[in-house]
Amino acid sequence: MKNYFLLSLAALLAMPVLADKAPIPSDAPQAYETECASCHMAFPPGLLSQRNWQNIMTGLGKHFGSDASLDAKTQTEINNWLVKNAASKYKYSALAPDNRISKSAWFIKEHNEVRAEVWKRPGVKSAANCMACHKDAASGGFSEKNVQVPAK
Amino acid sequence: MTPQTLLVFAILWTANIALAASPQDLLTAYEAKSAKAVPARGEKFFNAKHGKEWSCASCHESPPNHDTNHIVTGKVIKALSPNSNQARFSDPAKVEKWFKRNCNDVLGRECDAQEKADVLSWLMTVK
Repeated sequence: MKNYFLLSLAALLAMPVLADKAPIPSDAPQAYETECASCHMAFPPGLLSQRNWQNIMTGLGKHFGSDASLDAKTQTEINNWLVKNAASKYKYSALAPDNRISKSAWFIKEHNEVRAEVWKRPGVKSAANCMACHKDAASGGFSEKNVQVPAK
Repeated sequence: MTPQTLLVFAILWTANIALAASPQDLLTAYEAKSAKAVPARGEKFFNAKHGKEWSCASCHESPPNHDTNHIVTGKVIKALSPNSNQARFSDPAKVEKWFKRNCNDVLGRECDAQEKADVLSWLMTVK
């Protein structure tokens, strides 16, 4: 009984930490880094639904205003990996408007204290620039403890 | 196009990272499909807008001899000039991929061999 209690306590304590972690699965194809992360951070696939990823991967010719087209083989490889690792947790698996992580209900809620002016600072530039404030974002760390908002 | 230039292209196109090309190899291949490159024209092309929102310099800055930031996402883009970054213009498939994407973004169409030759010839002079 005591063990069970300790285990529950440990699980409870671990929960907020887990919620702040969104790592890139280690089996990411190299192309995910070279193709996708040339222009923006390699976003953790678990932050968008399967359907969102499929929408993104079939529209790369016009990817948020840019041509991010891929050859067919690379496209299939990245698509399959994203779909396999897409959001499984309820919080992240709702369909995101415009296929943007930054328009997900959870994202907006988590960032509701960030003023409009902060997003426009040159050091932030875009909601896609997670690393601007989340210092460990590239390795999947989104804990509030590691947030440093650029002053400019 | 002569059989020789076809051969040059075939070699360049099938080349991958393991079989690297030099900026001069690429320039020669583009010039084989156009007139001789004019660096000054390439510089002007690079810095100009072409009817759309961005120029090449919007992301790469000018001169592109240092790391810069993507104009939308802020992500670091390594220096474009091959004199500042030896990895640049060493992989023909990669060069073609980025010309296609970025010309679409800047001009709304693909660049022709003359435009690529001009820009590359200028970038090769950027220190």
